[in-house]
Amino acid sequence: MWKLAQAYSASLEEKVKEIAFSMQDFLFFSLRAFRALGASKRYWRDVLDQAYICGTESLPILMVSALSIGSLIVIEVGHQLAEFGAKTMTGRSVALSVVREISPLVAGIMLAARVGARNSSELGAMQISEQIDALRAFGTDPIAKLVVPRLVASFLMFVPLIALCDIVGLISGAYLAEWDLHLDRGIYWNSVVDILRPMDWLVGFSKPPVFAIGISLISCYTGFSTTGGTAGVGKSTIKGIVYSSAFVLVMNFYLSKVILDFMRG
Amino acid sequence: MIELRNVSLRYGAREILKNVSLTIEDKKVKAILGPSGVGKSTIIKLMLGLIKPTSGQVLVDDVDITHFSEVELFPIRQKMGIVFQGNALFDSMTITENMSFFLRENLNLPEEEIEARVKEQMKFAGLEGFENNLPDSLSGGMRKRVAIGRALIFHPTMILFDEPTAGLDPVSSKKILDLIKRLQSEIGLGAVIVTHILQDVFAVADSVAVLYQGKIIFNDAPQKLYDSTHSFITSFLSNPED
Repeated sequence: MWKLAQAYSASLEEKVKEIAFSMQDFLFFSLRAFRALGASKRYWRDVLDQAYICGTESLPILMVSALSIGSLIVIEVGHQLAEFGAKTMTGRSVALSVVREISPLVAGIMLAARVGARNSSELGAMQISEQIDALRAFGTDPIAKLVVPRLVASFLMFVPLIALCDIVGLISGAYLAEWDLHLDRGIYWNSVVDILRPMDWLVGFSKPPVFAIGISLISCYTGFSTTGGTAGVGKSTIKGIVYSSAFVLVMNFYLSKVILDFMRG
Repeated sequence: MIELRNVSLRYGAREILKNVSLTIEDKKVKAILGPSGVGKSTIIKLMLGLIKPTSGQVLVDDVDITHFSEVELFPIRQKMGIVFQGNALFDSMTITENMSFFLRENLNLPEEEIEARVKEQMKFAGLEGFENNLPDSLSGGMRKRVAIGRALIFHPTMILFDEPTAGLDPVSSKKILDLIKRLQSEIGLGAVIVTHILQDVFAVADSVAVLYQGKIIFNDAPQKLYDSTHSFITSFLSNPED
């Protein structure tokens, strides 16, 4: 029993060391990416390509998600409000939930899955086929060439993407409120406009740049650290999605909490 | 000239190389022979500065590059071309783009010069007519020749081959070995060939180092292998396929 406990403790120690080394490695990787940011000028074509991939190609899935966000809030909250005779406040609930929380969160998770999976798998495949070593061997900085364009493109695209999600979410809420709750669209939009303050937009739009940086760096790092052949690419893709999504969930909470607490004094 | 002086490399508890010393002279072909997974490819990566040794020194033309940064390594790497085991070609680029990519990236050459260099390597590698093909549409042997052409694009003085004939059919293997011989006879290039195939060593190498359990156990002309009494070498010579 004692030996088993010792073995368990040793394996736990190894695991903790491994996590600490990975964290340190990720930190250095991120610092190198930030230091290489100037390369985005040189690789502007790659930035445009990545912007197309993470922006335009992500639009359909984000719009579908955004449509359901607004509609779901109307179904869940609108009916509760209607029971208390306060269905005219549906617009307020939809506006605050969509702009501050749900739209950035859902869009962030969708982007973590889509952009994160692509980065991890593409860079992982390049790593195991030695293409990343080839870049270094022939004098090209792989972080400048592969990571910086992805980071910059995500940073530029996430804000407009989430803004579009906000708009589509609010519009879908308006239509569902009219159809399901028989709420006049003018009343809905008046309450939306009334309730939204600059602080709410600040909370909502502070999130996409943070998500962009986190998702890009995490997924590129998991791709770069791929080992173990094609099975390794699978593992790093899963890691890329899971860690990016977890980052989005955690940061969504903390950004809301910190900004709202700060603004409320 | 490339020199490894008392190089050791360790990954965690695993010791890959133990006090390895090796010299690769200019215009000579040196083979590094050994079973799979023994750390042969690691030696090539050490020579290029892609990985750093745990201890010891790596010298290129008498310059100690062991602790060089990526920027400092670039002129050193230009002296050496590398052909990776899986070729490491960029799938989304045509053959011409693969060959010209690093010239455009790293040297400020006029477009005519880039085109001339690519054409020169396409001709040398016997790839004329395939300029606009993607790597996936070529056979294994042709992809290897593209990788050799790309490795020659900076006009290096030394070329490093990681398992150049692994996975190729006998005809393609012969073509690649002939190409390696031409590199030495026509261009006067030195080469390092990492391989586990004994025939490749006898076909092209001036000298061979045998790597076994992280140590160099033999370093001489290929023919002298038959004089060795080391149990691994005698077993390898009698069962070269193992």
